[in-house]
Amino acid sequence: MKSYNPYEIAQAQFDRIADLLKLDQAARDLLRVPTREYHFTIPVHMDDGSVQVFQGFRVQHNDARGPGKGGIRFHPLETIDTVRALAMWMTWKCAVVDVPLGGSKGGVVCDPHNLSARETEQLCRGWVRQISRDVGPHLDVPAPDIMTNPQNMLWMLDEYEAIHGGKYPGFITGKPLSVGGSQGRKEATGYGVVFTIREALKELNREPRNTTASIQGFGNVAQHAIQLYERIGGTVVCVSSWNQADQTAYSFRKASGIRYEELLAATDAFGGIDVAKARDLGYEILPGDAWLEQDVEILIPAALENQITQENAARIHPRAIVLAEGANGPTSPEADTILSERNIFILPDFLANAGGVTCSYFEQVQSNMNYYWDKDEVLGKLDTKMTAAFHAVSDLARNQKLPMRDAAYVISVSRVAQACRDRGWV
Amino acid sequence: MKRLSDTVTTDAMRQFDREFADPEHRFKFVGSGALGGKAQGLAFIQNTLSSAFPSDRFPQIEVSIPSLAVLRTDVFDAFIERNKLLEVAMSDASDSFIAYRFQQAELPAEILGDLRAIVERVRTPLAVRSSSVLEDALYEPFAGVYATKMIPNNQHSADERFRKLAEAIKFVYASTYFKTAKEYVDATRNTIEEEKMGVIIQEVVGGRFNDRFYPPISGVARSFSYYRSGRSRPEEGMASLALGLGKTIVNGEPCWTYSLAHPRVPPPAASPAELVEQTQSTFWAVNMGKPPAYDPIAETEYLVNASLTEAEQDGTLRYAASTYDAHSDRISLGLGTQGPRVLTFDPLLVINEVPVNDLIKFLLALCEQATGSPVEIEFAMTFDPHRLGFLQVRPMVVATEYVQISPGEMQGGRVLVASETVQGNGVYDSIRDIVFVKPDAFQAKHSVRIAEELESVNRNIVTEGNTFVLIGFGRWGSQDPWLGVPVRWGQIAGARVIVEATLPAMVVELSQGSHFFHNLMSFRVSYFSVPHTGEFQIDWPWLDRQEIRQETQFIKHVRARKPLIVKVDGRTGRGVILTAERRKEEHCE
Repeated sequence: MKSYNPYEIAQAQFDRIADLLKLDQAARDLLRVPTREYHFTIPVHMDDGSVQVFQGFRVQHNDARGPGKGGIRFHPLETIDTVRALAMWMTWKCAVVDVPLGGSKGGVVCDPHNLSARETEQLCRGWVRQISRDVGPHLDVPAPDIMTNPQNMLWMLDEYEAIHGGKYPGFITGKPLSVGGSQGRKEATGYGVVFTIREALKELNREPRNTTASIQGFGNVAQHAIQLYERIGGTVVCVSSWNQADQTAYSFRKASGIRYEELLAATDAFGGIDVAKARDLGYEILPGDAWLEQDVEILIPAALENQITQENAARIHPRAIVLAEGANGPTSPEADTILSERNIFILPDFLANAGGVTCSYFEQVQSNMNYYWDKDEVLGKLDTKMTAAFHAVSDLARNQKLPMRDAAYVISVSRVAQACRDRGWV
Repeated sequence: MKRLSDTVTTDAMRQFDREFADPEHRFKFVGSGALGGKAQGLAFIQNTLSSAFPSDRFPQIEVSIPSLAVLRTDVFDAFIERNKLLEVAMSDASDSFIAYRFQQAELPAEILGDLRAIVERVRTPLAVRSSSVLEDALYEPFAGVYATKMIPNNQHSADERFRKLAEAIKFVYASTYFKTAKEYVDATRNTIEEEKMGVIIQEVVGGRFNDRFYPPISGVARSFSYYRSGRSRPEEGMASLALGLGKTIVNGEPCWTYSLAHPRVPPPAASPAELVEQTQSTFWAVNMGKPPAYDPIAETEYLVNASLTEAEQDGTLRYAASTYDAHSDRISLGLGTQGPRVLTFDPLLVINEVPVNDLIKFLLALCEQATGSPVEIEFAMTFDPHRLGFLQVRPMVVATEYVQISPGEMQGGRVLVASETVQGNGVYDSIRDIVFVKPDAFQAKHSVRIAEELESVNRNIVTEGNTFVLIGFGRWGSQDPWLGVPVRWGQIAGARVIVEATLPAMVVELSQGSHFFHNLMSFRVSYFSVPHTGEFQIDWPWLDRQEIRQETQFIKHVRARKPLIVKVDGRTGRGVILTAERRKEEHCE
């Protein structure tokens, strides 16, 4: 069996949209590969006195619409092809919500679980030292991603500022609130998912208060999605989460509706729900993939990629009407086809979960002007930005009779290609 | 009487779809809780206009409600709960502290996009108004109790406009728990915990003139009024017109009050020169010019009080003004001659250039028919093209008891106060508490302090569950402290009978209750006007013999051994307050 290569998938997606758009060859050649790639080594003096050399990357897929934007991943199985694919998807994500940024991604092949705080700091600072000439507030703006956090961002910022001899809070986003972070960043991705669900329900002529949802995951995105979905009147009846001790996932169901606050109190820092506590609170404990087959209108995969596949798509309950992809790439192309045939309204990942990057853009803007907004202002802008993006995609899908995912891609690729043409690149 | 909410169908309103200025659907809402009293009133108007207003009846005037979006009370609940504001709200903290804490809080995330959409689409002033649930439940007027904030909404940056809108909403929410509001709600025998607040974000009906935005005419009209003017009968109704925002009328500032049945008859005045003195000389507008000092917890942050000269420069006196000729001591219609401008609204009321009076009467009748009771309406007008923005309707509680007072009763030995100029109707026979401004201590320069002292005395009496007769000097509720004690209604809300008197050192034209007229009507408060030069005098010696419950520098609160008897004949305007015992000197005879 051929191994899963996200870069090939990303390129195949692009090729299909390029065909749809009848994109000229030069634009295709430019956009199906990254503009720049940086591969470098990062030597770190370990606590035991040895020196370990880590492999680092930064891929800048396209910056025609503005400075690159994308996270830095610390992962032992990181590959350049994953980073390339994610950089390309960042380009499309920024374009679909119409923020003036390009797409980038970075990473280091490492396992942070095996690094001390000092070693992690050295790795963060080392990554910046290698790339500091080619990133920056007006070039390419990094952010946290898998296994990186606000503290890591602050070390990176500190190193960048030491190298460049000034204060550049706009160099990086995802900073702690106390040092240039943005209000609302924590909520942004999950809330963004719900803003798009709300608009989808309007199109389907359904009231949120008459809907129920089942969610995969109970991390930051899922938690805030649950919070806002409940606030607009919806009821979440099932969530799943990974159990570190048992090395398996469980689904937690309560037909009358889960209570977000009580589940949160039974959750560890990584979003793992304590099975015993949940049982005491009256939750049914089901297998990890049971979230998918619940009798609900809305499904929100907000954990991992490749979760809804040809094999399990048929298990989705006939009542489901909306699939909102909180995670990146949770639906395989084959499953996508099955869901479309069942008339399930799909909110594609790079639209539904674009609230995070949109808020990162807000953070960058605030940092660059060194003037910070209150939460009302951030979330108000986020809502209108996400709502406008949804309607642009939805209008195109309706007018051109395209699936939502294709419509979102068409908008993104058109915008980026147009920026390249306007600049005279192609 | 029907409750407004009982007459409103859901056709009148629709969920906010981020299109604010939508002439087809002017009434939209956010959330799912209650609308509150004012919003119910607007929904009722929308319903009535669309179902019963014949569009060909006044073809030259567009009649509509302003475009608006209501934040229903679930938004208020979420704001209070998520920010844990109830504790500070229910505390004894000062109004400014409560307002400050509310400003620090975050609005519910689910409405922020809607607010953002409003400011991104609208660049003209917005009125952010309270819409209280108790107001709807009690048929009682909460006018002036909770805050309304006008914002210019003309800043270049949408961010700035958003911030100002958010601040205004938080300020209106905070005003639910201001001291005056708490006391007012106490006086209605409700608790502040029961109160919930809707917020109406609405277009300000008017136009921009230089750096000001206002309607050339605003008005309040009532289909029934014991307020007497000339030969009018209560059921003929009264109206008050003003230049600029309706704040002039609500505040009880000088405006043009006339009988709807006799629009050409001016209010009583000794001479044209006196009429000039009595009429409106300044007006309220939204300040569209230089930003004022930042003060999000001030209701008047963006309001400006301008003069008639400025209005003339704005070109907005066309339908409102006449001109006074000092040489002939006459008022001539229009602006054709030089001289002080007088707001008599003659072009509308005398010449009937635009049939405003007929339209007001028609709208009152329409609303009366729909509610089954007398009503009060508020409106604002713009001209050329003509539009009447129908801002509010409230059913009125009208006392219908038939009271007769013989001339002998006005003169007898038990008379504490008598007057031929009394607003109200009915009999009270259970009041024992009397609060009066000490005549020997009174000076107009202390009137602000008197208001403060009254607030505390009022609170004590209300806490005991009692009501009282209030006696003082000058125009109660006047904005000008030199004309009377500048109390707000909440500061005297426990009063069931109010007496305004003059003194040799305080000779003013008495207000006859005009500052609190609607409050008087709804709470059935009687209002006596007793000039010291008149036939009837207040029995001060009797008051001085009563048991003192509380005494401050300017105020005395006494309690009679037996209840007073208060009788008011609303049809003749005659009223009397009788003590249980005869005057001491008469006993001696």
